[in-house]
Amino acid sequence: MSVIAPNFKLSEFIKSILDNAFWILLILALIGIPAVQVILFYIEMPVINGELLTPFLALTWIADPSRTLPIIKAFMTTDLFRIAAFPGFGFAALLAAGTIFVERKMLAKLQLRVGPFYCGKIEGILQLMGDGLKLISKEIIIPAKADKPIFWAAPVLFVATAAAFVALIPVAPGWVVADLDVGLLAVFAIIGFFPIITILSAWAANSKFPFIGGIRALFQMVSFEIPLILSLLGAVILTGTLNLSEIAASQSSFPWIIFLPIGAIVFFVTMLAELERIPFDLPEAESEIVAGWLTELSGMMYGLVQLGTYLKLYAFAALFVVIFLGGFNGPMLWPPFPEEIITEGIELGPVTAQIPGLPVFSQEVLNGILMFVLKTVGVIFFILLPRGVFPRIRVDLLLDLGWKKLIGLAFVNIFIALGLLYAGILGPGGII
Amino acid sequence: MADAAFLALSVITIGSAIAALELRSLVYGSIALMGTLGGIAGFFLLLDSPFVAMFQLAVYVGSIAVLILFTVMLVKRELIFKKVEDKRRKFVGIALMLVLMVSLGAVILDSGIKQITTDEPAVDFREIGEDFVTYYWPALILMGLILSGAVTGALVLARRVDEENGQRVN
Repeated sequence: MSVIAPNFKLSEFIKSILDNAFWILLILALIGIPAVQVILFYIEMPVINGELLTPFLALTWIADPSRTLPIIKAFMTTDLFRIAAFPGFGFAALLAAGTIFVERKMLAKLQLRVGPFYCGKIEGILQLMGDGLKLISKEIIIPAKADKPIFWAAPVLFVATAAAFVALIPVAPGWVVADLDVGLLAVFAIIGFFPIITILSAWAANSKFPFIGGIRALFQMVSFEIPLILSLLGAVILTGTLNLSEIAASQSSFPWIIFLPIGAIVFFVTMLAELERIPFDLPEAESEIVAGWLTELSGMMYGLVQLGTYLKLYAFAALFVVIFLGGFNGPMLWPPFPEEIITEGIELGPVTAQIPGLPVFSQEVLNGILMFVLKTVGVIFFILLPRGVFPRIRVDLLLDLGWKKLIGLAFVNIFIALGLLYAGILGPGGII
Repeated sequence: MADAAFLALSVITIGSAIAALELRSLVYGSIALMGTLGGIAGFFLLLDSPFVAMFQLAVYVGSIAVLILFTVMLVKRELIFKKVEDKRRKFVGIALMLVLMVSLGAVILDSGIKQITTDEPAVDFREIGEDFVTYYWPALILMGLILSGAVTGALVLARRVDEENGQRVN
């Protein structure tokens, strides 16, 4: 019988927990709350219930339910919330984490395996958390002759670039982090940074497998960037704008994929190549060059690159949805918020709870989020699916596909869009 | 705010330009060149022309800097660069740069830049596009022809016959 902790005593365990709780409470009361108060004096506070929220009243929302929701709503309009939580990083990271789990489980089912099984009671649902803890607790090993500054910076830059891409995606009407007039051009500018980071990371590792993988990634990304840009121009021609929110809003009656199916197919194929997914996973071909440009990354550096990869996957799928599938438009499926809760409150036996500040989101926004997430999840499913079906493509076939076939098809798509525009059927001032 | 951003961008742009010239490591030099090009994109953003700024990023940082980086990584530095320290060359170079800067500055100051009013609305990029296909169309077509000629020439130069009977030889 193995004994993990031979000197374990329950009483000492409880005592240590109580000790920790005591010290945490003491430090929070003596340092934490005053520090929060000091910071609050420098922040512009919102007006709640017709009264300016001063730092003295800032913590009253914990005890006063009539202030809770208005303060949360005021917080939700800030830039910090948008960047960190809802249309930005947190939302995307949540979807990305879901994608990782679904990918592993779905691939296993496609290949008649079991997949993640033991972590968590139901079908290995906690596998992702376990993997994350493992990656965080692992030692980061840097190769001896690596170029340390670039090697350290590359994973962080990768995640930051992917997050910048995510920031441009409109999730619901009015819910976008950066609503730029030149949103699509900003997407092209940001996509251009990925090959730089990849090749720098690969070169800095000073090892041959990462370098081969990095050069393959560079070839692949640069040659597929051109059909990617060209395939999106059809929607721009028909919409007359580069703003992603306006492109999404312009598809309220029909999505552009009906008129631009060739552009959608070209964009989907280039998307697979930009994401280095099977059948275009030459940069990470694990049976040839270990793990490609990720070979020397260890611990949380690898975890960051993986997070960035799946954020990028979400962002590309969302871009496909915004440009070809109508974004947040769709049939109104979300039920309206019950009026009597706003007017009368919730009755709980003898008590009636009045909750001011409801509803938090309007029905249109909630329905937009639902439509967007449903479509994005569908596109992500189709991005994952080839991994269980196709083998890896040869490099000369890959470059041939990118430079000859896809660019030609993208031009065909542009001419279809131009024809529809000049025939007066679609676009600004068209029949439909 | 805009002044602080302008100062920071100037420091980044000029500093990384000097670094790009002076650094011995070629890879770091090309990263510094990327900083310069990105700083110029920042200037375009400050000048209310995000369209040009995004193209600056996508083309110069995203493509040209990548090509430079790629070339640098495949080059053995010792074979082509010998460390030549020549005092006279340095001074001649600095003098040439000063002459060039003074003459360019004289041209710019003479071009009526002092009379520009700064509170005019920014030019819409749609107008630039319309100008391109109406008033400047000969220039556009000329540029297109030159570019396609260059691409065709490059393809012809880079072409290699390694296919026989539809099967790859090596």
